[in-house]
Amino acid sequence: MTKIIADNLKYKYPLSDKLALDNISFKVEKGEFIGIIGANKAGKSTLCQALTGLVPHFYKGAYGGKVFVDGLEVKEHSIAEISLKAGIVFQNPFTQMTGSKMTVYEEIAFGLENLGIAREEMQKQIDHAMELMDIASLKERNPFDLSGGQMQRLAIASIIAMNPEIIVLDEPTSQLDPEGSEEVFLAVQLLSRQGVTVIMAEHKMEKVAKYCDRILLLYNGEIIDFDTPGKIFSRDDLKQYGVVPPIFTSVCRELGVKKSGTDEYPVTLEEARAALGRKVK
Amino acid sequence: MQKQSMWSLKFSTAALVLIPTAVGINYIGKLFAGLLKLPLWLDSIGTVLASILAGPIIGALAGAVNNVIYGLTVDPISFVYGITSVAIGLAVGILCYKGWLSSWSKAALAGLIVGLVATIVSTPINIGFWGGQTGNVWGDALYAIVLAKTDSVWLASFLDEIVVDVPDKLLVVLISFAIYRGLPGSVSQMYNNSNKFESLD
Amino acid sequence: MKQISLYADRNSFVHDLDPISKLYYILFSILVPVILPSISVTLICSFLSIILLLLAKVFKKALPVFLLVFIVLITVVIIQGLFRPGNETIFLKIGPAVFYKEGLLYALKVTLRVTDIVGAFLILVLTTKPSDLVESLVRRGLSPRIGYVVISVFQIIPEMTSTMSTIMDAQRARGLETEGNLITRIKAFIPLLGPVVLGSLVNTKERAMALEVRGFNAQGNKTFLNEEKTSVLSKPIQLGLLLIVVMAFVWRLLT
Repeated sequence: MTKIIADNLKYKYPLSDKLALDNISFKVEKGEFIGIIGANKAGKSTLCQALTGLVPHFYKGAYGGKVFVDGLEVKEHSIAEISLKAGIVFQNPFTQMTGSKMTVYEEIAFGLENLGIAREEMQKQIDHAMELMDIASLKERNPFDLSGGQMQRLAIASIIAMNPEIIVLDEPTSQLDPEGSEEVFLAVQLLSRQGVTVIMAEHKMEKVAKYCDRILLLYNGEIIDFDTPGKIFSRDDLKQYGVVPPIFTSVCRELGVKKSGTDEYPVTLEEARAALGRKVK
Repeated sequence: MQKQSMWSLKFSTAALVLIPTAVGINYIGKLFAGLLKLPLWLDSIGTVLASILAGPIIGALAGAVNNVIYGLTVDPISFVYGITSVAIGLAVGILCYKGWLSSWSKAALAGLIVGLVATIVSTPINIGFWGGQTGNVWGDALYAIVLAKTDSVWLASFLDEIVVDVPDKLLVVLISFAIYRGLPGSVSQMYNNSNKFESLD
Repeated sequence: MKQISLYADRNSFVHDLDPISKLYYILFSILVPVILPSISVTLICSFLSIILLLLAKVFKKALPVFLLVFIVLITVVIIQGLFRPGNETIFLKIGPAVFYKEGLLYALKVTLRVTDIVGAFLILVLTTKPSDLVESLVRRGLSPRIGYVVISVFQIIPEMTSTMSTIMDAQRARGLETEGNLITRIKAFIPLLGPVVLGSLVNTKERAMALEVRGFNAQGNKTFLNEEKTSVLSKPIQLGLLLIVVMAFVWRLLT
């Protein structure tokens, strides 16, 4: 089942004279884990926001083409309506806290209250989201007293409590320490296993290679390539798009070691170990 | 680009979120003024900035919320002076819309006008509530002198307020103007609702 | 997290009352002395508030606020006692200062009125969680968006205060003069305030987006996680207070 369709999407921010996104077309199937990579200003954040209606509704600006999330055309529906289909998590955990709730539990309820979910249903969804993000023990804590990793997991829980089929994460670990990052990646992986379609813009290529089914490579607001991690990171021209492949790929490329029976370099530790082990033998 | 009416009640979420931030800036301004031992309050910079950035209604709301919060947290009497804060927000928003905040000299003049507006609104409140005083030492000393000389509570109270309010609001408007001019365009453009959709199809 | 609200968590029947009844009480405390402007009526209302504060076990927390107000009231007593137009009857002579009865009586009236109103507000403020108050108002038709704005201030101010101390330290470390003559200190103001303002304005954009994707602008009725606090006493209290105001009004018209 196709969950996301982008068809020749173009977008320009107000007061800008350059297209932030141009000629963007792709499809994502249910349950896929998609990575979005590219240099700074390549359009990663803009694309994430275009999948959740913030582009164009929040900013206005010039828009062309069509985007469908779970059958809804983004341009024709409000951000609140789209939020039931696709949720988004941002970089800074701090600014994602509403600032109007005193406990983790109430914070997660914020979106559900706005959408008019009945109390019992609300409690069920909050409990489920807390359990998935492993924050049930923090239930009564003040959101601003949490660590960065905990706060970001709370931000994700607040979104998944709204039960979207798709979750978009815009560099969710860029402001976290390594420990907090790891917590968040594991939580997202768990979501993906639950059948949620995940779209994640990310700088940490080792993580992208490890978790993603397919990778969308952006440059200057255009799609350069959309393929498996092995194919993307084996490209010879990554450098000109400002992308540094995972360390395992670079090492194997230096050594000329490819995955057996393919024309691709290994992209994860496991793949590299397998390929190198074969070579050593 | 067509400028939106300044009285529009269709606020963007960013403009609404600006209100608590403005109240926070008011509070921080007051704290810094206290830390630097400045002889003025400087506690309405956020309200003034909100008006400049998002118009008179948001400015007025920021003023109202400011005093409600003060009333709930520090001093219940602030509730009463909420009217003055609303007036400050409205005055700055209108002056800004009419193009008064475009140069230093105009901004200074706008500051004086805002101070005068604040005085005119506060004086009846002072009289109704305190019998005309403001609680500021210098202002109240003047109040006592004028009252002894002229027997006019109104005149005494008006002068009591004006010597405190006009210098304060003048400086507040000038500081807000300085900060506003230093903001990057992406920030200062964020709150106006006049951006339009265009089609690229 | 530092809390800036004056709310004091206690076990009392005043705490258990709903916020709306406390708003009725404020209205009552303002209106009755306005309708019947005699010293004795204002005195009774002030006493009522103080008794309620005692019963709510929050009188100690009310004292600093009253103290702040009384400092201003002292100047009212002095100035009105000395200079109020219409002062005729000499009441007290201290050296060259002559206090008049008319002015002092007026100052007493102001003092009682301020005590009455401040007391009534303190009952609301000291015994009600801000979020409960706002939620009650939202249930009665206040825009949830405005409700959000009010409530979020309570958390945003502590957040900004902590940013502020970071910036203060950083700017001092870079050699910013924060002491000295008035001009030096005024000049220090903008480098201190500017970064806090810019940072918090940038945050408003991200927070606005985060709110919108959580249904902030959703159409239709919202629901509430917490059940509304109601007391069997609410209705009788509200009606009783209204009745007294009406009776005061009738009394005023008849006499």
